[in-house]
Amino acid sequence: MPAIRAASKRKPPPEGFSDIEEDLLIFSNKMKDAQNTPTDNIPKHQAQWPIFQISHQRSRYIYELYYEKEAISKQLYEWLLKNGYADALLIAKWKKQGYEKLCCLRCVQTKETNFNSTCVCRVPKAQLKENQDIQCVSCGCRGCASSD
Amino acid sequence: MSLKSTYKPSPGALAPLPLGWTEHRAPTGHTYYYNAETKESTYKRPVATSMGPVGPSMSFLQHQSVPAVNLSDPAAANAFMAQYTQPQHQSGHRGGFGGRGGFQPRPRPQPVDKPRSKVAIPGQEGWFLVYTKYGRRFAFNAAKNASYWRIPEKLKPGILELDQARIRQKAGIDPTPEKDTTVEPKKETESSAVDQKREEGEEEEGAHDYDSSEYEEVEVTDSEGEPDEDGNPTKRQRTEDPNDQQNDGPVEFTEEDIAAQLAAMGADYDEVEYNMSEEHEEPVLSDEDARELFKDLLNDYNINPYSPWEKLIEEGRIFDDPRYTVLNTMRSRKEVWEEWSRQKIQELKERRAKEEKKDPRIPYLAFLQEKATPKLYWPEFKRKYKKEDPMKDTKLLDKDREKMYREHINRIKLPQATLKADLKKLLESVPLGLLNNQTMVDHLPPQVLSDLRYISLDRKIRDPFIEGYIQGLPPPPEDGEQQEIDEATQKARDDRRKREKAMQDRERAVAEEKRRQEKKLQFERARLRDEERELERAMQVGKRGLQSQLVKEKGS
Repeated sequence: MPAIRAASKRKPPPEGFSDIEEDLLIFSNKMKDAQNTPTDNIPKHQAQWPIFQISHQRSRYIYELYYEKEAISKQLYEWLLKNGYADALLIAKWKKQGYEKLCCLRCVQTKETNFNSTCVCRVPKAQLKENQDIQCVSCGCRGCASSD
Repeated sequence: MSLKSTYKPSPGALAPLPLGWTEHRAPTGHTYYYNAETKESTYKRPVATSMGPVGPSMSFLQHQSVPAVNLSDPAAANAFMAQYTQPQHQSGHRGGFGGRGGFQPRPRPQPVDKPRSKVAIPGQEGWFLVYTKYGRRFAFNAAKNASYWRIPEKLKPGILELDQARIRQKAGIDPTPEKDTTVEPKKETESSAVDQKREEGEEEEGAHDYDSSEYEEVEVTDSEGEPDEDGNPTKRQRTEDPNDQQNDGPVEFTEEDIAAQLAAMGADYDEVEYNMSEEHEEPVLSDEDARELFKDLLNDYNINPYSPWEKLIEEGRIFDDPRYTVLNTMRSRKEVWEEWSRQKIQELKERRAKEEKKDPRIPYLAFLQEKATPKLYWPEFKRKYKKEDPMKDTKLLDKDREKMYREHINRIKLPQATLKADLKKLLESVPLGLLNNQTMVDHLPPQVLSDLRYISLDRKIRDPFIEGYIQGLPPPPEDGEQQEIDEATQKARDDRRKREKAMQDRERAVAEEKRRQEKKLQFERARLRDEERELERAMQVGKRGLQSQLVKEKGS
């Protein structure tokens, strides 16, 4: 993320930012809340789940605005990526077949996992046992296979 | 076709029942609770801490725990009222209900409900669908003079048709002209005007409580209502207002009786009740209609098309609307929402493209004129008004803002005469096409509005001044705009004319050249011919030789 300059020296964001400004503000407030909630009573691995979830939602929001609804311009999209409103690496995965709903990048990382494989949330529902309820360790995802 | 209800009748249904209590459902559709040991029954859900009837404080707590009950909703209100009116009637000893009289002290059914309107059921002569005040309904056969809570099987198609018509009308797809509803119910005494009644009924349709018992076949054999008509004193102990006597729940109504009641009710008929939303949707709408309805809903609630779906769901504003349930899966809703937002964003884009670009300086300058004083330095001014929209606008750089502010403050200090002269100069610089005697003072061209000279004069002095100036101007040039637009084409035309002329010149030159050459050619030819002739003559030498030559010379 580039350095934040003083408001007087900042260039204005590209056209169309004012349309989505409010919703982005809601996301950033949510993120702040999630960051500030105490994690004393929660298992250690769950502490970061809300952070992952909110960042996923926000990236998804921008992704959909640009690629599906075509609501924002390319300049604005790039500006948003540059300013850290969305995760460009995650969005890059969503464009690939089989990764359309990927929850986070950690869940496709095979290295340094127990069985050298991806996360359980990548397993399609059809291949899981009947009524098996899963929530993945890294981000609390309940399943993000494309076929679900 | 299943007609199911989305209505949850008992608000306190969460707590488990204490020992000895059982839950039952009255033919009216309300659940009640019966204790086999103490032979008590109540509409109020008993709580484990207090067996039997619950004290007033408890009931208050119960109500507290259900803040979401909307009392303006008749069906909910009915259930709600029943909760605390019922325990009073528990002492009343009444016989069971037909064959189902297993539970001895039965609570009376809803005491305050009464018929409100009736609709002739299409295709079934003599049958009417009667709606009660609280939105319940029953079938009434005028010929047999009998009423049924449970709607007989043969009437179902007709009623479905009515419902469909009503839903369509509600959705505004098939709007029938509004009628004066306060008068309508009185007309219902005329039993002949069946068609008219049907129309009325469709309109009057209020909220509905689709209890599961709605289509249950229970003949209204209840004796509760009858004694009043017969004038017999009731054996029951009555604790409530005597006015309610004839309004007892399911009654066997005669035609006149209903009509009289409806007429009485016509006076205090309030529109609120029939604007109420329906509490159910039946899957009778076509898919297309349902989608359109859902889109209308999104439009009506001013949903921001840029907002994420999660926000819409979290806010939950649209849940209460009946149109929310026309689509029955969340997935289909989301799909429609996506489609809608895409359309909406496109529309917005187009509209914005059509709109002229607004100079961000105009609102800022207007704001400056309002707020700027020489008493505040720029940093102070900025801090004081940092929440204001013109100060936050990102299209204008802070640097420019500061510059304009300083300049403006400096100009305010100048004498009035200078300011007026400056303003006049500014107005004069505007072409007549934009500023003329047809211009309104509050619709000046942006060229003027975005200039500092325009705001430096006080509004009270400035506006009359500008008005005076405008009146002194000539009318707009006839084709002023036209000229401007044509300028480019004119230029192109001129160019073309020039080109054509050049071409003609060249052609003329070429032609002349050709002519000249031809002339030259002819001349040459003529000379050649002369020469040839001379030569010929020279060749013709006669016998006389030189003499003949001399003779010729002499002769000439």
